[in-house]
Amino acid sequence: MIVCLAVVGHQNNPLYIQSFTEADDALKLHHMVHCSVDVIDERVDNPKKSGPTINETFLGLLCPTENYKVYGYLTNTKVKFILVTTDLDVRDADMRTFFRRFHAAYVDAVSNPFHVPGKKITSKTFAERVATIVKSFGLTTTG
Amino acid sequence: MEPDASIETSSMIRVAVLPIAGIPPLLFRDYAAMLLRHHTVSLNSISSFYTEHQKSPFANQPWESGSLRFKFILGGSPPSPWEDFQSNRKILAVIGICHCPSSPDLRSVANQFAAACKSYSSSLVQRCFAFCPGDSQLEEESNKGSNLVLFPPADRQTQEFHLQTMVQDIAASLLMEFEKWVLQAESGGTIFKTPLDSQASLSSEEVIKAKKRRLGRAQKTIGDYCLLAGSPVDANAHYSTALELTRLTADFFWYAGAMEGSVCALLVDHMGQKDPVLEDEVKYRYNSVILHYRKSFIQDNAQRVSPLSFELEATLKLARFLCRRELAKEVVELLTAAADGATSLIDASDKLVVYVEIARLFGALGYHRKAAFFSRQVAQLYLQQDNKLAATSAMQVLAMTTKAYRVQSRASSEPASDAGQSYADGGKMHHHSIVSLFESQWSTLQMVVLREILLSAVRAGDPLAAWSAAARLLRSYYPLITPAGQNGLASALANAAERLPLGTRCGDPALPFVRLHSFPLHSSQIDIVKRNPAREDWWVGSAPSGPFIYTPFSKGEPTHNNKQELTWVVGEPVQVLVELANPCGFEVMVESIYLSVQSRNLDAFPVSVSLPPNSSKVITLSGIPTKDGPVSIPGCIVHCFGVITEHFFKDVDNLLIGATQGLVLSDPFRSCGAAKLKNAHVPNISVVPPLPLLVSHIVGGDGSVMLYEGEIRDVWISLANAGTVPVQEAHISLSGKNQDCVVSVASDTLKSALPLKPGAEVTICVTLKAWQLGVMDADAAASKGVPGTSGKQVKDGSSPMLLIHYAGPTTNPGKLQMGSVPAPGRRLVIPLNICVLQGLSFVKARLLSMEIPAHIGETYTKLVKSRSDGTAQENGSERSDRFMKIDPYRGSWGLRFLELELSNPTDVVFETSVSVEIENPINKESLSDRTCAEFGDPKTRIDRDYTARVLIPLEHFKLPVLDGSFLTKGSQMDGITGGRSSSFSEKNIKAELNASIKNLISRIKVRWQSGRNSSGELDIKDAIQAALQASVMDVLLPDPLTFGFRLAKSSSNNSANLNPPKQADMQVYCASGGSIIAHDMTPMEVLVRNNTRETIKINLSVTCKDVAGENCIEGDKATVLWEGVLTGIIMEIPPLQEIRHIFSLYFLIPGEYTMSAAAVIDDANEVLRARARTNSSDEPIFCRGPPFHVRVNGTA
Repeated sequence: MIVCLAVVGHQNNPLYIQSFTEADDALKLHHMVHCSVDVIDERVDNPKKSGPTINETFLGLLCPTENYKVYGYLTNTKVKFILVTTDLDVRDADMRTFFRRFHAAYVDAVSNPFHVPGKKITSKTFAERVATIVKSFGLTTTG
Repeated sequence: MEPDASIETSSMIRVAVLPIAGIPPLLFRDYAAMLLRHHTVSLNSISSFYTEHQKSPFANQPWESGSLRFKFILGGSPPSPWEDFQSNRKILAVIGICHCPSSPDLRSVANQFAAACKSYSSSLVQRCFAFCPGDSQLEEESNKGSNLVLFPPADRQTQEFHLQTMVQDIAASLLMEFEKWVLQAESGGTIFKTPLDSQASLSSEEVIKAKKRRLGRAQKTIGDYCLLAGSPVDANAHYSTALELTRLTADFFWYAGAMEGSVCALLVDHMGQKDPVLEDEVKYRYNSVILHYRKSFIQDNAQRVSPLSFELEATLKLARFLCRRELAKEVVELLTAAADGATSLIDASDKLVVYVEIARLFGALGYHRKAAFFSRQVAQLYLQQDNKLAATSAMQVLAMTTKAYRVQSRASSEPASDAGQSYADGGKMHHHSIVSLFESQWSTLQMVVLREILLSAVRAGDPLAAWSAAARLLRSYYPLITPAGQNGLASALANAAERLPLGTRCGDPALPFVRLHSFPLHSSQIDIVKRNPAREDWWVGSAPSGPFIYTPFSKGEPTHNNKQELTWVVGEPVQVLVELANPCGFEVMVESIYLSVQSRNLDAFPVSVSLPPNSSKVITLSGIPTKDGPVSIPGCIVHCFGVITEHFFKDVDNLLIGATQGLVLSDPFRSCGAAKLKNAHVPNISVVPPLPLLVSHIVGGDGSVMLYEGEIRDVWISLANAGTVPVQEAHISLSGKNQDCVVSVASDTLKSALPLKPGAEVTICVTLKAWQLGVMDADAAASKGVPGTSGKQVKDGSSPMLLIHYAGPTTNPGKLQMGSVPAPGRRLVIPLNICVLQGLSFVKARLLSMEIPAHIGETYTKLVKSRSDGTAQENGSERSDRFMKIDPYRGSWGLRFLELELSNPTDVVFETSVSVEIENPINKESLSDRTCAEFGDPKTRIDRDYTARVLIPLEHFKLPVLDGSFLTKGSQMDGITGGRSSSFSEKNIKAELNASIKNLISRIKVRWQSGRNSSGELDIKDAIQAALQASVMDVLLPDPLTFGFRLAKSSSNNSANLNPPKQADMQVYCASGGSIIAHDMTPMEVLVRNNTRETIKINLSVTCKDVAGENCIEGDKATVLWEGVLTGIIMEIPPLQEIRHIFSLYFLIPGEYTMSAAAVIDDANEVLRARARTNSSDEPIFCRGPPFHVRVNGTA
C-alpha cells in the first residue's frame, strides 16, 4: 500500500506531498521523504556511478527502512517523485508503471497555464487523479 | 555501547584523567589538553624506561615501528560489565591532575588521589601530575615514594617536554604490567565472564561448559592485551587460537569478539594503509562478526542483557571503516540496519549512542538530511530524560540539525562577511538565500524542529536559545500558527526575555517585519546642489527649476547619475521611512527601533512604536550624521520582546521576492493590508561636511498672503543662517507659476549682507502684485454672492517660488588641497503663498457718447483767455488737447466716455481712481498735476456689495497719440505711411488700430485702495478693449473733414497758428472778449480742414438757426443778414490743409443762435466711402459739422 507520495522540485522544495494513511504519521512520512532527497541528490551528483542507467528515470529503491520502502523517480527536469510504500516486495516493473502514470498526471498538472512553475501544486484535479492512481496501484499489486 | 567506536578502539589503552584536589576546571582542561596530545606513544621512545624483568610474552613486538595508543577519558568512567570481554574497556591507568597553588598540602593531594584511584580497580598504573608547585612543596620530602609527580614551574615548552617524558614513563610501566598480566593469565586459571553468561550460581553443567570455554576466552583476552601492548602479530596469533577454540565450544560471542580483535590486529599491522583487498577482508570478517554476535543472542536472558549492542557497535564500526562516498550504498545499508536494530535496544543511552553515531556517519557521507533526522531522534531521546543536562544536550543536537532543515539561527549561520555586504547590492538575491527560500517549504518539519528547540531550551534554562527559536518560529511560520499559538510564542518570548539581562542581543529577529519604505529627498528648504567650480552661476541647470523632477529636455546623463545619490550633511538631521508590519494576532510593542549604521557616522534616534494585530505602519526614523563619508544602512536595530535584534532590509526584500514567486508562505506586508511598494531604491548615501543652512520665514507669519486681485504689497522675508558655516554667495531667482506677480525682489539687500555668518539674519523685501483670478473663480464667487468669502483658497502650485541658491566658502576648511570638489551649494525654495481674493470686480464696460454744444459766455471767455496765455508756445496738438477736457462751458461734440461698472463683492470698502499716464515726456510735467487733479483726486468710493461706475473720457487718451503720422494714417484709413500700397485693407487697419488701442489702454490705470494698506490696480485691459472694439473707428478716427467757426475779427491775431484738427472741436474765438452784438456786421469765418491725404472737393454750406430752430439764412422769416455765399460754396481743400471761408453775419435780433456747417463731398474716394460706411458708390457723402452756439446781445 502506498502511504505517501511526494513531488520534490528542482531546488529540493516540496511541490506536492500527500500521505494516504489514516494514522497521524504525516510528520514521519515527511521526514522520510525529506531524507530520501539525500539519496537522490547523491545519485544526481554522481551520475557516472549509475553509468548504464544514465537516462533511466526510475531510481529504484532509495532506502529500505524497517517498515517502509522508498522509491524514487527523477524526471528530466530534475523534479523528483518519491513514493513511500509499506509493501515490502514490489516488482520494479509495477513501480515503473506507477511512476509513469504519475508522471503523466504531473505533466498535465504543470501544463495548466495557471500553474506557476516552482510553486506548490494545489490543483484538486491532480490530487484526485493521484488518489485514483494510488488506489489502482494497490489493486494491481494485491490482485 | 560507546560513542566514537571504531575498529581500532580495541587497540587503545584507556586512561582515566581525573581532577584532583579542587583544581579549577579551566586549568584542568588546559592541562588535560596538554596531555591529550600524547595519545600515541611510539615503542621506540619508551625503550629507555622499559626494563625486561622476565622474558616478554610479546615476542613479535615491533619496537621500531609500533606504538601504544591511549584513550584519555576525562573525568573517568564507571567500570563496564564487559571489561573481561574487551580488555580495552578497562581503565588501565589513572592520571590525576592537580594544581599546587590551589592545594598547598601535597599530602592531602596524594591521599585524595589514592582515594580516587580506588574506584578504578582495574588500573595498573597511577600517577598524579601536580603542576606549578611552590618551592616549599618541591622541597617537601613527604611526597617521595608516592605517585605524585611534580612539574616544576617552567615555560610551556619545558612543561610539555616534561609531560611527554612522564607519559612515556607511564607507557613503559603499562607495557611491563601487561607482560606481567599475560604471563599470569597464561599460567593461571582465571575465569572470564560476561553478563551474557548466567549470573546465577553455576550449575555443574555450566561449570563444565565454562571450563571448556575458558581456554578460548583466555586466548582472546591475551590477544587483547597483545593488541594493547602494540604487538599485532602476537595478538593475531592468540586470536587465531581463540577463534579455533571458541568455534569448537560454540562460544559465539567470544568468537565474534576474537574476530573483532583479529580485524583490529590486521589494521594495526597494516598501519592504516587501506587497499581494496584489505577492505574486502575487513568487510568479510566484520560481516562474520556481526553474524556471530547475532547468533550469540540467547532468548533466556534477552530481557536483562543482549549482545545486540555489540552487534550494532560492530555494524557501526564497519560503517565507520567504510564511510566513503563511493561506498555510500553499503554504508547506508549498514546504518539503516543499525537504525532498525536500535529500536529494539533496551538501554536508552545505548540507543542514544547508536543514533548519535548514525547521524555522524550520515553527516560524514554527505547525507545531511538523514543526519538531521537521526540527530532529531537523539534529541528526542535526550528529551525523554527529564533533566536539565539532557535538555541542554538535546538543544545542542537540535541546533546542529537546523542547518539541514534551513532554520538555522543567523548568529550561527551567517559569517561576518555576509553581514558586512553593503545593502546597496541587495537588488539581486544571493544563491544561498534562494536555496534557503526553496527549502524553507518543508515547513512541517521545520516547525517541529524549532518547536523542539524551543521546548528543550526552555527545559535547559537557556533563555536566549528559547527566545531565538521562538523568534524564528514566529517570524517564518506565523501563517501556519493559530492565533492562540502565536500568543503562546509571544509569551514564550516574553518569558525568555525576563530571564535575560537587559540589553541582550540576539541574531534572529522576531517581529515586526521591517522594510525600507523610502529615503525622503531633502525638503526644498535644504536641498543640496552640486557646485560646478567652473561656472559662476553654478546653480543653473544643476537642479530642477520647475515642478517636474525629470524634464525630458534637460540633459539626461547628469540627472540620471544624481538620482542614485543622496547627500547628507554633518549635523543636520536626516530621515528614513521604514514600514513595519505585524501580521500576528497580538499587539507588538517595539520598545525602540533605530537605524543600524555600519559606517558608524550617524547617530540614530530610537523611536518606540506599538503595532496592533495585523497592522502595518510607516514610521520615520531619524538620525544625525556625525562624520563625512559614505553611509550604509543595512537595516534597523529593534528592541522588541525584551531583546535587541538587527533586522536587515535585505532579508525582508528576499522574503518578499520569495512571496511573489510563491516560495514563501505569505507576504507579511500584504497580509497586513499595506500598500504594495515598489522595490525601494537605495541610493548611495554620502555625508558631506557642514554646509550653511538658510532658514526663511515670512515676517508677519508664514501663512498665505491674502491679496485682493491686483493688489500690490510688500512682503518681508527674513533669512537666517542656521548652519555652522557662513553663506558666502547667494542668488535669488523665481520659479513656478505666476512668476510675473513678483514685481521686485530686493536681492541687493541679500547681497550686501554677505557673508552671512552663522546665526546672522537678513530681511529682504519682495513686492507682490496679485494676479487675476480665473473667470471661473470670479463667476463662482459672484454667483454665490457671499461677501468676503469669495476669495477661494487658490490651488496649490499656483503661487510662485523664490529660489535662493547659496553656498559657503568654496574650499572646505581643513581641506585645502587643489582639485578637491568644492563643497556643494544649497537651494532654498521659499514658496510665496499668495492667496488671491476676489477684489473689486468688473461688471461691464460701456461706451457712452455725449454731446455738449460749445457756447460762449463770460466764463468761457476767461477760460479761453487764460489758456491761450499759458500755452502760447505750445504747438497745435498740444493745445487741442485742452479741448478734450470735460468742461461744461467749453463743450464737446461727439465726446465719448468709457463707463466701467465695478462691483464690490467683498466686505471692505474700495476707493478707485483713474489715472492716465502721458507718454510724452514734455507733456508729463505740465500735465501731471492736472491729471492728478482731474482724474486722481475724485476717488470713487465703492461700498461693500455695491456697484459703481467710473467714467473714462476716451478723447483724453485718444489725443495724446494722435500725432501727425497717426492722424494721417488714421485719416487715410489705409496705412499709406510706411510705403504700403494704397489698396484698401480693412484687416490691416484693424490690426494696426488694435495695436494702437492696446497702447492707449495700457496707459490707463484704474487704481484702488482699500483700508490703510491694501492698494492695487484693476486689470481691465481686456474689458476696455472689448468695449472699444465695436466702435473703435468712431473713437479713434477723425472724420475726413473738420469744421470750425470763428469770428473773423480776431482772425488777424492768431488764426494762422490755429489748427483745430478735430471735427468735434468748434470754437469761436473772440479776440476782443466782447460778444456779438445785434445790428452789427459780424465777420465770421468757417474753417474746413481736410484730414485726409487727398484733395477733397466739397460743396460747403453754412446754416444758422435761431432759438426756435428756424433757418435764419433762407426763407421768408429770415432773421439774419448775410454776406457772401452760404450755400453751394465750392471748395477744394488740399490734403491736410485748412481752408477758410470768410463771411459775415448781421444779426437783427439778439438771442441764441446755432450755426452749423455741412458739406457734400464730390468724387469721394474709397477711403471716404469706407469711413462714411456708404453702401453704394454713387451715394453722396455728406459731412456735417457740429452745432455752434452764438449768443447775440442786444444793443445797449
